[in-house]
Amino acid sequence: MLEIIFLIPFVTAIAAFFLPRTAGRRLMVITGIIHLFFTAMIWINRPAAMFPGYFGIWSEGLLSLTVISLLFCLISIYTMEYLKHSHIQHENVFIGSLLLFLSTMTMVTLSDHIMVMWIAIEATTLTSAPLIFTHRTPRSLEATWKYVLICSVGIAMALLGSVLITLAMDVGHVNVPVSFSELTGAATQLDPVWLKAAFVFIFVGYGTKMGLAPMHTWLPDAHSEAPSPASAMLSGVLLNCAYLGIFKTNKIMVAAGLGNFSGTILMVFGLMSIMAAATFIIKQTEYKRMLAYSSIENMGIIAFGTGIGGIGAYGAILCLIHHSLIKSSLFLTSGNIHSGYNSWFIDQIGRLPRRMPKTFVAFLAGFAGIAGFPPFGMFIGEMLIIFGGFRAGHYAMIAIFILSLCFIFAGLSNQIIKMSFGDVPEEIKGVFHEKASLVWPQYALLLTSLALCVWMPDILYQTIMDAAMAMSGGF
Amino acid sequence: MIHSVDILLSFVLLSVLFSFGTSRLVVMIRIVAFQGVAAAIAPFFLEHSMSFGGIVFTMSILSIRGIIIPWSIYAVVKKIGIKRALEINVGYNASLFFCLLLIVSAQMLSHKFNLSDFTGSKLIVSAAISLIVAGLFLLMARRNAIVMVLAYIMMENGISLLGAPLSAGAHTIVEFGILLDVLAGVMIMGIMLQSIQNKYVNLDTAQLRKLKE
Repeated sequence: MLEIIFLIPFVTAIAAFFLPRTAGRRLMVITGIIHLFFTAMIWINRPAAMFPGYFGIWSEGLLSLTVISLLFCLISIYTMEYLKHSHIQHENVFIGSLLLFLSTMTMVTLSDHIMVMWIAIEATTLTSAPLIFTHRTPRSLEATWKYVLICSVGIAMALLGSVLITLAMDVGHVNVPVSFSELTGAATQLDPVWLKAAFVFIFVGYGTKMGLAPMHTWLPDAHSEAPSPASAMLSGVLLNCAYLGIFKTNKIMVAAGLGNFSGTILMVFGLMSIMAAATFIIKQTEYKRMLAYSSIENMGIIAFGTGIGGIGAYGAILCLIHHSLIKSSLFLTSGNIHSGYNSWFIDQIGRLPRRMPKTFVAFLAGFAGIAGFPPFGMFIGEMLIIFGGFRAGHYAMIAIFILSLCFIFAGLSNQIIKMSFGDVPEEIKGVFHEKASLVWPQYALLLTSLALCVWMPDILYQTIMDAAMAMSGGF
Repeated sequence: MIHSVDILLSFVLLSVLFSFGTSRLVVMIRIVAFQGVAAAIAPFFLEHSMSFGGIVFTMSILSIRGIIIPWSIYAVVKKIGIKRALEINVGYNASLFFCLLLIVSAQMLSHKFNLSDFTGSKLIVSAAISLIVAGLFLLMARRNAIVMVLAYIMMENGISLLGAPLSAGAHTIVEFGILLDVLAGVMIMGIMLQSIQNKYVNLDTAQLRKLKE
């Protein structure tokens, strides 16, 4: 029974709301380990779904599920230690919401029915809202309000798009279940005009949740105001879930012979996101917001690569996996930096290697990975996207893509150098103890990313290829 | 021949017009409740025969859309003690003019789509488009947080209305799931409304500017 993988965190979440602090923390870590175990079992056994019309295992979903599971397991270990030092008042609500968030995201990865996918993605918004509102400050209130309202309205657009898909079915006299797999098979019979309209609305809806410009306005606020473990989850895996909705709809478009239409939309909005991120990263004064804008940039890169298709889509999926691993490690590290300096401002941070040497290594390695330094996977993914773009003849767009990446690299480098080697305006009192559980989850994430560049298991390579092959374009 | 649902939908179009011209929150909530009821019972009119299960399902949808969701907002309004939403970006006269244009354009657009074969109704598509665009317009034209939540519900009612004649491919359990998500979303927004009122003096969202770049 496939559905058990999202039912377990759901049940433990309910329990966590009523458990005392220490038991809740332990339950969170145990759930993370069990979830990871079940994910491994899915790779080995491929169990059937109890409701096959609604849920199923497909390559792109399995990849996302694996990333979610691994990230949650490591983040839960970090969170256990983090909660001891943070001043979170309602810890059971935080842990319960985190587990519900895991449950709903898992549901997204296994959804096959279009409406069930929508329900699951909207549920991720609702379960993550309390995480952003954890500190209950005016800033977190503003961030949560924007997040809930903008994402709900955006996702309502995706619901409209899903309704239009049923219209495309009715007009084309297609009588199959409203699932992505069935619709991809019957895509050529769907009415193309309504299908295009449906894609536009679904793209706007899930694109809002994915943080693509110009619908990205909620993202820097939400990601910067949430506690660091929640930010790591939001940036590392929630954005992937929204991308999955777009990816699966694009599969239908490609199968219907409308890949050029959807591809162009993906590339244009992808480039807009990268350019928007470049503008804001350069002048950024807060390091957590800087990381949030970097997520917008990376989602832009992923959308751009998916739009190119073929080898570009392969590169996009690589970027998706490595971005999750590296960005979540960076957000966790930012939590350590805040604990050490008690500030989110870049100009308040300095001499990082001296004050927090282990955190500094994770921060610098994370920066190298996210900025696209070889041998990290982002470098390989971005190179494949550039090759794919050249092969498809999108020279102007590739030129803008490379130029924007250069700007972002310069902006990020400038800020990171300031934080690492700059002077601190005033002497910081107290010593921050870099406990192992506050550092090694980041190391594990970065090493996983690095290991995947050196050696990728054949089964993983085949799964990525399966997902990328559904996009148009050559290899 | 006029379809029986078109009589109901003509009142929905009128209610959109009313919602653009009022600042009274209770009136707005009643309008949204009526639109919710209309969206819930529209499939009842469109289907030739309905099973007992279908009737039970329609009634439960009606109670959520027409009673529980509007009531939860009403409870917040009562608790906060605000009667009027005066924080606006676009004036009421300009809003009413836009609303008239919207209803006419939606009617013209629905003729172009030529979907009456599927719907059997002449007004359902135009009413749905009107509700969706009206919701989006109110989200931009009003700054009061309660009106913004009501605008979101209005938009969602419009999408539900559009989906009503096309729901043959969807399952009732899925529709129920969608509605529960919306309900939970409105509940969370209700909590946020109370928090905004507690942290700030009123519900003007223009005050939420701390995170502006």
